[in-house]
Amino acid sequence: MATTPSLARLFVFRGQLSRKIKFFAGLLTALAAIGIWAAAPMLGWIEPIFLPSPWAVLQALWIMVTQNGLLTDAGISIARVWAAFLLSAIMAVPLGILMSSYRIIGAAFEPLIDFVRYLPVPALVPLAIIWFGIGEETKIFLLWLGTFFQLVLLVAEDMKRVPQEYFETAYTIGARPYQALTSVALRAMAPSLVDNLRITLGWCWTYLIIAEIVAASNGLGFVIWTARRYMATDQVMAGVLVIGLIGLLSDQALRALHRFMFRYL
Amino acid sequence: MQPVPYLQFASVTKKFGELAVVEQPFNLIIPRGQFVAFLGPSGCGKTTLMRMAGGLDTPSTGNILLEGAPVGPPDRRRGMVFQSYSSFPWLTVEQNVLFGMKYRRDILQSQKRERAAHYVRLVGLAEFAKSFPNRISGGMRQRVAIARTLAAGSEILLMDEPFGALDAQLREELQVELRRIQSEDRKTIIFVTHDVEEAVFLADRIIVFSPRPALIRADIDVTAVLGAKRDLATRDSAEFFKFRTSILHMLRAAHAKESA
Ligand SMILES: Nc1ncnc2c1ncn2[C@@H]1O[C@H](COP(=O)(O)OP(=O)(O)OP(=O)(O)O)[C@@H](O)[C@H]1O
Ligand SMILES: [Mg+2]
Repeated sequence: MATTPSLARLFVFRGQLSRKIKFFAGLLTALAAIGIWAAAPMLGWIEPIFLPSPWAVLQALWIMVTQNGLLTDAGISIARVWAAFLLSAIMAVPLGILMSSYRIIGAAFEPLIDFVRYLPVPALVPLAIIWFGIGEETKIFLLWLGTFFQLVLLVAEDMKRVPQEYFETAYTIGARPYQALTSVALRAMAPSLVDNLRITLGWCWTYLIIAEIVAASNGLGFVIWTARRYMATDQVMAGVLVIGLIGLLSDQALRALHRFMFRYL
Repeated sequence: MQPVPYLQFASVTKKFGELAVVEQPFNLIIPRGQFVAFLGPSGCGKTTLMRMAGGLDTPSTGNILLEGAPVGPPDRRRGMVFQSYSSFPWLTVEQNVLFGMKYRRDILQSQKRERAAHYVRLVGLAEFAKSFPNRISGGMRQRVAIARTLAAGSEILLMDEPFGALDAQLREELQVELRRIQSEDRKTIIFVTHDVEEAVFLADRIIVFSPRPALIRADIDVTAVLGAKRDLATRDSAEFFKFRTSILHMLRAAHAKESA
């Protein structure tokens, strides 16, 4: 019967699966994780001070939202992530495209970008603080640093993968190079570009927390770090939960956007 | 005084780095309105020669002249149907064909739409006009490219094995159609194929190539034998059959000599 697929049907190598089953598979794993989490402190496997129960975390979350203005901190973090992300994207997309379009630009920038790309962001925190103090600039700078150089190379690669035939088809119907770029290349690379932007947004969150831990007086990273000082593990976990949820939701939203924009795939 | 040749390969050679694709200077004059088929073994340089005519590659030495002037970068005068990636996946069939006229200022948008619909019908894709290329077969995608190039109104069509992926029936239909369009609009066509029968049916003239480095092994005047008018009756005629067979024999003999 179609509604009760046999186990064999679920495990087809590189097979297809319906949306519903995929959703339930994801839900089941998540619930199992929460179940283990709930059981661990209850059964005395671990001290609640190290791992408070899901219920305690939810309570802490409620208090943080209603009394400590957690949503404001979340808003601040989201704003920082998007500001840095947009800055990175606005700079990286044109530069990446130029690097692939003109060998000379690619050759000129590649070594430098490759060098910076491998610098770990945390190693540059002291420098960022010396340069920018602990204002917003520091955070934006650190996020930009962590994402811009990666994204440039990804964009350059996306552009490089546009088949030469697409450009040539455009030329033979009378397009100039910039017209081939706008009406063909950008369209051809759009699906992978949007994917890479989504991944970059995820990296932004990683670096944000680092930046907010070392150089902030608000934001989710700061909240978590402050709670740690008082060993308020429930609050730490509530903060982490919020970050996870924001990540999950924005990722799903971008995936849905991708599906919607590129229905022809 | 000699009239200026329409399309001329003048002492063209081509090397990709160390690899000589065309080593001996290649000379060929194609009069306006002629349908030329390139026939030759895989990898001998047919695509390369065609790309040079389209301005997509430049000869290492020598020139390609269009009405006496060296051809420049690609433009709308010389349309190209590629072997692969021939249609854009993000456009529907109809939009792909419309794209061929995107940069034309001389026709109105409404006329463009009409023309697009006309060529979509011509290549037998009316039913799929609103489909995206991922929903149609490889041969259909190739037909989209043909319709786009025709809609673009190029006077020279460079076609790289455009019917390779089609079934016999449709192939025949499109061959007849292409031949009709070509003679009506006096289009000049270079058509690469591996199929002797297709070359004989379509072309006014067949250029047979040797294996790389490309040399002209034979320059066959088909029209002298079969006449300019081709239709389904041509295919069934005894002359067609005889002619086709003689070319096949010639190719076989040459191949045997080379392998020996
Ligand atoms: N851009 C390129 N760089 C290097 N070598 C190339 C390039 N394009 C073609 N070649 C080489 O030139 C030779 C001729 O290629 P070409 O594509 O013209 O052959 P063809 O006659 O069209 O073959 P087929 O019938 O298989 O399409 C091949 O050996 C190929 O490897
Ligand atoms: Mg070829």
